[in-house]
Amino acid sequence: MAGRPETREALIASAYACIARQGIAKTSIGDVASEAGVVRATVYRHFPGGRDELIAEVVSWEHRRFFLELYVAVRDAENLAEVLERALFEAHRAIADHEVLQLVLATEPTELSTLLLGGLAPVQQQIAVFLEPYVEREQHAAHVDVAESSSFLSRLVLSYMGAPGRWDLTDRNEVSRLVRTELLAGITEQAAARGAPAGRH
Amino acid sequence: MGLLSHLVAIASETQERTEVLLGSLISPDETSKRLKIVDATLRCVAERGIRATTVEEIASEAGMARATLYRTFPGGREAVLEAVAETETARFFASLSVELASAEDLESLVVAFLYGVATRLRSSVILRALSRERPELLHARLTFGGLEETLALGSDFAWPFFAQWMDEDPAKRASEFASRVAISYLLNEEPGSRLDVDADVRRLVAAHVLDGIEALAR
Repeated sequence: MAGRPETREALIASAYACIARQGIAKTSIGDVASEAGVVRATVYRHFPGGRDELIAEVVSWEHRRFFLELYVAVRDAENLAEVLERALFEAHRAIADHEVLQLVLATEPTELSTLLLGGLAPVQQQIAVFLEPYVEREQHAAHVDVAESSSFLSRLVLSYMGAPGRWDLTDRNEVSRLVRTELLAGITEQAAARGAPAGRH
Repeated sequence: MGLLSHLVAIASETQERTEVLLGSLISPDETSKRLKIVDATLRCVAERGIRATTVEEIASEAGMARATLYRTFPGGREAVLEAVAETETARFFASLSVELASAEDLESLVVAFLYGVATRLRSSVILRALSRERPELLHARLTFGGLEETLALGSDFAWPFFAQWMDEDPAKRASEFASRVAISYLLNEEPGSRLDVDADVRRLVAAHVLDGIEALAR
């Protein structure tokens, strides 16, 4: 049965259940094996890197699930502003409601930070690639570079997900104002038309 | 956060005042001895890192006896490292303040902020050593609750400079936005949008950041 994906998935799910119960630091290979009903050697066969590899896999698995849900929430949005508004609102809600994430953040934020930042670059790139056609479609100002704007937006969206700062992202009006100002004022004609000083561009 | 916000308050004063405050309640002679030890420590850390730097090496680098160092810092190695962190933080904010205060318009202020933060962070001996030896400590400052604190630190420091060009509330948002941009671009550097490259910063500010700030101020 070595290498069968369902066992690998099952082990990741078991490790996730252990982390949800006791946090990252206290979760051992032995705990995961008994949770999954297998011997420790089976866990090591799937994760030769041992505990570190397994934990990193759990984080990236949950990470993928999170962004997949976010993708589902935004994919039928009509335009760039709507994509960004939905993404910020939904991501903020999902993070606040994520019991396991909140538990780990409260008890062992340091270990998680390193794991999440390790996966930052590819996630940011995927978000940028997703946003590019929406940026392309906007009536954007002549100076706008689509790839560079998408990179800017992906960086900032991740930043607000991590820390909303002064913005109340549970309030749709605030989210909408945030999108029209900090995110899109330099990109779309519509946002820029809200009183941009004449003669700058 | 307590220590850092205190240092931010100090940083709005001049460099001279900073050094006086750092050496408060002790004689000018002691103040210069403290700074001599701090700078010797920075040279040691640059060469061999934080963990490997001993009190003996610091004393010898500073050209003084071990006993003299302990008279100035009875707390020993830990106390010296704390003084190094305080001094470096105060220098960071004090020198950045001077640059921000001389900005002639909002656009130059934003450029000076992003470029000034990036170049200082990149050249910081302490941060370079930390990112080699204890990267997880820095990572914790850049995600979730730690990121909130870092943003608040940047915003608390920078908003009075933005308030020269707008009201207090937008100035606080604008300084937080600028801090967020700084962190986002430093965390994942890409050629063409590097904050330690003057032309890149100017382009980024003109394309996105300034419009965002002006929209906040309306």
